[in-house]
Amino acid sequence: MFYSSKAKRRGWIDLLTRWVVTIGGGSVFLAIATIFAFLVWVVAPIFFPASIEKGATLAVAERTTLYVGSNENGEIATRISADGIIEFYDRALGRPTASFDLNFQIANIFRVYPTPNTYALLDEEGRLNFISADHEAIFVDGQREVVSQAKFSFNASAIDVEASSVIDLHWFDQTLVVAFANADQVTLHRYSQVKRGSSLPAPEVAVIKTSIQGTWLSLGPRNEWLFVLDDEGGIEILDIANLQQPKRSYLGRVTQVGQGIAAVAALQGRHSLIVASEDRSLKQFSVLKADSGTSLNELREFSLHQRVRKLIPEPSRKGFVAVDEFGDIHLFFTTSQRNIAKLQANVAIDAPMSVTPRSDGLIIGANPESIVSYEIWNPHPEISFGSLWEKVWYEGYEEPTLSWQSSSADDDFEAKFSLVPLTLGTLKAAFYALMLAVPLGVMGAIYTAYFMAPAMRNWVKPSLETMAALPTVVLGFVGGLWLAPIVENNLTSVLSAFIVLPICVAAFGFAIASLSSRATTRIDGWHALAIIPILFAALAIADAASPFVENYLFSGDTKRWLRTNLGLDYDQRNAIVVAMMMGFAVVPTIFAIAEDAVYSVPAHLIRGSLALGATRWQTLTNVVILTASPGIFSAIIIGIGRAVGETMIVLMATGNTPLTDFNIFEGMRTFAANVAIELPESELDSSHYRILFLTALLLFVFTFLLNTVAEVIRQRLRSRFGNL
Amino acid sequence: METSDLSTATGASKSASRPRLKSSEQWIWLNAAAIGASLCALFGMLLLLFVKGSAHFWPADIAQIDYTNTFGESRQLYGRIIEVESVPIEQFLESGRSLQGAAGESATVERWLVKSGSRRLNPPDFRWVFSAQVNGTSYPKDLTVFQRMEWGDLYGMPLALSAPNEPEKVFPRTSSDSPALLMEKLQRRLEQVRETRRQIASLESGEVRRISVQLEEARSQLRFLNQTADSIPNNQLLTQRVQVLEVSIKKVSMQLRKLYENLDRGSVYVQLAQGSVAEIKLAELYSARQPNQMSTLSKASNFIANIGSFLTENPREANTEGGVFPAIFGTVLMVLLMSVMVAPLGVITAIYLHEYAKPGVLVSVIRIAINNLAGVPSIVFGVFGLGFFVYFLGGNIDQLFFPEKLPSPTFGTPGLLWASLTLALLTLPVVIVSTEEGLTRVPRSMREGGLALGATKAETLFSIVLPAVRPAILTGVILAIARAAGEVAPLMLVGVVKLAPALAVDSIFPYLHLDRKFMHLGFHIYDVGFQSPNIEAARPLVYATALVLVGLIVGLNLAAITLRNRLEHIYRDVET
Repeated sequence: MFYSSKAKRRGWIDLLTRWVVTIGGGSVFLAIATIFAFLVWVVAPIFFPASIEKGATLAVAERTTLYVGSNENGEIATRISADGIIEFYDRALGRPTASFDLNFQIANIFRVYPTPNTYALLDEEGRLNFISADHEAIFVDGQREVVSQAKFSFNASAIDVEASSVIDLHWFDQTLVVAFANADQVTLHRYSQVKRGSSLPAPEVAVIKTSIQGTWLSLGPRNEWLFVLDDEGGIEILDIANLQQPKRSYLGRVTQVGQGIAAVAALQGRHSLIVASEDRSLKQFSVLKADSGTSLNELREFSLHQRVRKLIPEPSRKGFVAVDEFGDIHLFFTTSQRNIAKLQANVAIDAPMSVTPRSDGLIIGANPESIVSYEIWNPHPEISFGSLWEKVWYEGYEEPTLSWQSSSADDDFEAKFSLVPLTLGTLKAAFYALMLAVPLGVMGAIYTAYFMAPAMRNWVKPSLETMAALPTVVLGFVGGLWLAPIVENNLTSVLSAFIVLPICVAAFGFAIASLSSRATTRIDGWHALAIIPILFAALAIADAASPFVENYLFSGDTKRWLRTNLGLDYDQRNAIVVAMMMGFAVVPTIFAIAEDAVYSVPAHLIRGSLALGATRWQTLTNVVILTASPGIFSAIIIGIGRAVGETMIVLMATGNTPLTDFNIFEGMRTFAANVAIELPESELDSSHYRILFLTALLLFVFTFLLNTVAEVIRQRLRSRFGNL
Repeated sequence: METSDLSTATGASKSASRPRLKSSEQWIWLNAAAIGASLCALFGMLLLLFVKGSAHFWPADIAQIDYTNTFGESRQLYGRIIEVESVPIEQFLESGRSLQGAAGESATVERWLVKSGSRRLNPPDFRWVFSAQVNGTSYPKDLTVFQRMEWGDLYGMPLALSAPNEPEKVFPRTSSDSPALLMEKLQRRLEQVRETRRQIASLESGEVRRISVQLEEARSQLRFLNQTADSIPNNQLLTQRVQVLEVSIKKVSMQLRKLYENLDRGSVYVQLAQGSVAEIKLAELYSARQPNQMSTLSKASNFIANIGSFLTENPREANTEGGVFPAIFGTVLMVLLMSVMVAPLGVITAIYLHEYAKPGVLVSVIRIAINNLAGVPSIVFGVFGLGFFVYFLGGNIDQLFFPEKLPSPTFGTPGLLWASLTLALLTLPVVIVSTEEGLTRVPRSMREGGLALGATKAETLFSIVLPAVRPAILTGVILAIARAAGEVAPLMLVGVVKLAPALAVDSIFPYLHLDRKFMHLGFHIYDVGFQSPNIEAARPLVYATALVLVGLIVGLNLAAITLRNRLEHIYRDVET
């Protein structure tokens, strides 16, 4: 009895151990698969196509709708009707939540850019009244409710716009500018120190004669300029930074001669205009302010076969909605030049419509008794193959560029997500580091495995392991704060050292080889120690020679010579510093694998070769290296993987400027450093976040492939040695 | 064994083919130069860190430098000469100075970088002085280094002490005491200040923290209950609790205020380099010492004491002064937590691969995966950790267990737990590879012996194989620790901060706070070296921190290497 229960228990333990071990082993595979799957899962949504589809229809009281919109998070729909009534509706529940009667008839409604909920209402007497809508979430018995209110923004201050209906308003930094056009005359009112809840102060007024009959106005960024357009495609840009002296800074056309404007809209930020012409072209124009004057550039053209009748910009990013002559809805995004989605909706072109602040819906006051919503799922419009990998013409730039600039202090900033500078930076850092690390690592490994005395090898190998373990943050710190100034102050010495050092060593080798054989025999296996004084001597020679080199080769000043003759700029934290420090980090990696490969070349091969009369060196080049070459190759591949993914050294030893050149005297920004800098600040699930994950995924896949190749090569090498 | 074969083979060749050997000897030298240069780089780096790092602790002499400035006025400077370099003479002349004989024909002049300290009183705190302008350098015995709580060191001569709250005009600015007596009095009072400061610190990190944490918790629960409109009695209880806590926090703050009043022990009057006198409150003073008077022995003991306080004290002045204790604590704690996670998983995986798994596609896929895991850049682990652990797992944990604290996250933000998990993933291959290597070295005969005696596979594993690979496991774990201690990039994403408000272990339940952010030696180097406003002043501290980190990692690695070497010897006899 006792015996059998014990046996049973032993059996159980055995089985349990087997299960635990198997599950544990499998879980490692699972962990790796999870990493990959998770990265893909985060990145994937940027490749999903956007969608637009018809959503709920709100039944509303019958009135002439002049404006429909929504609050910041899209919960509440706002309607303003011609009879002066402002209503708020809960969009999810489809019921009205509040209503306010202004007691005057409204002729027209204008948004005050860029506020989300301040409106300028034109009454029948030709005066603009300002209304603000406020939405506040409160909890009643644990239930969330939104209370909406409409108030006069500036204590019932109103502005006489002299019967004009061509109006634009821009409230920037406590300054409200109102522009309105009457025939060939534009009037500007500038109100300073504007605050909600207090009356408008006396304005600064300017009246400007224009060369065209303005029928559409848009105040530019920071109220520095004003676009005036007429129906025929003429455009005039007025410089209104100084209202006392407004200037015309540009006069031209945005359509072909003879083609009128079908629709026009100012993009968010108001640096650029979207113009649809009667000849079915749809173009983006952007203002470029340079010392030579203001110009208007056609950044890009969108292809659309229908005639556009209405353009609605997205309020918080650089996209827009176009409604064509058949009432179909098209979504566009400018930076990525994408024709994102289309819906055959047959909407009434004249109906008031607006895009929700989060760009997730289009609200249309389709007819007097209903408000129709279209749901838009379009979270990552700024990403396309072109915007990541090709030159893009950004707003305010002179020409298309490859640039990475993911964020800025401005709200209306156009994010620049070109991966080209980062890719080049990564390759540049890895390339220069490997230029240094591959010869050092491989040659060092060959010497250590093949020539070195065992007594020395016994401490050299642990030393290089220690070298591999040195924290990269320390290397980066030493590179950035100690080495970089030294390299800068002794640039010529450093450059000459790269040439003098190998020459000196080779010369010393020749010299010692012709010496008596006794001397060579004694140091055999200890060359590596014996050479060290020579290395220092070579450094001293390079340093001593540098003033002459600088004088005769670089006309006295190396940095100036580089700039004027080769056009190369010099940064203190540059690729030389990175190459030296990252070389330091990569050498032991390459060394370890290459040494292993050379060392495991079967002894009988070497003995055979030597027995046939080959010298040690001949044996090395013809037998040893040849046999170990796959191993050495895989050492280099793993070295590449290490250099590509290294973060801290690049982060600390370069200026992290995203550049697109291979200049060794300037810094770079790599994928890894970029992720380390930007990921902590990037917003969860934003395009920026996903692009950073994409770069991490690229690193993962790249190193995964490299390592797999290296591993396969090593496996084959091992089996071949097994056969030998 | 191959070694001996190889060396005899090459030895034989040497005598056989000497004439031809010579013709290729230079290429051997080139290869030797590669490893020689690598070794130089390694030991040079270690030497650099050692010299620069230990200089931070050494009480160096303070010089009084009399020099003539550009306008021909004679000036005086107290400070440490920290760098001497020669610059082209043009630079000297360009800066508007005239050369007065001394340098003569030589094309360079010597330039000294002097740390004159005394920030805010006598700017700038680093200046360049051309040696040609210097009229004399001396080392006055009474020149004193005042380490201030803020604004770094101040160099000057102590003149007199004042009692607390003493009006300035009554007090003579010079004292009748001898310099030595004055210094003694100053040290005595400073000791009192330090004692009070210790009391304040222990009160603040103990009682005050405990109560405010409880208060915060009670308040957030109250808020949560109000939102969910739960039972009223519960509500009242909580309200009472909040009131009680508020009363006790008031009491403690009274105590604190008294201590702060106690801190005021008067001021010391110091004569600065240009003769002006500055008043420094003792409450704002950390220490005062006179290195010019110290013997080498007392300097050495000062050196050791400085190392001690560097390792055990908290940082001051936005990390640019003081110690690195929280960073050491954070590093060690994170690494320990990581070991607890990585060791079992790594060992189990190695056992699975080597003892249980049948060779096949699955095993080779796992092997390739593990190998790849070792090659994946560490920053990718950080990205994964942030996305998966912090936002995905942490966010869900908050939803489930800490809804009352939302929207401020508990586990849904970078912290200690996620950092150690991420690094456990990162170092997993190290443990697996090392353990498997150990398993390979255990001779088949030992396992077969166990099985032949009737033991089950599990029993063989536990009583024969595992004890035999214990050193290998230990090696793996040590190497993993060394790797993790030096890793910074992933930690920047998953939990490290420049200044943690509290250690992750304290006297408040549950004692170990896995959700807290922590400080780390490596990140400390990055942050202080690259993000601090006065990098020049902080540099010695960064070198010292780097020395601590490198010392830790090199020590761990050497331990692992020694252990492994011993392991290699143990089974050599059994195998043959």
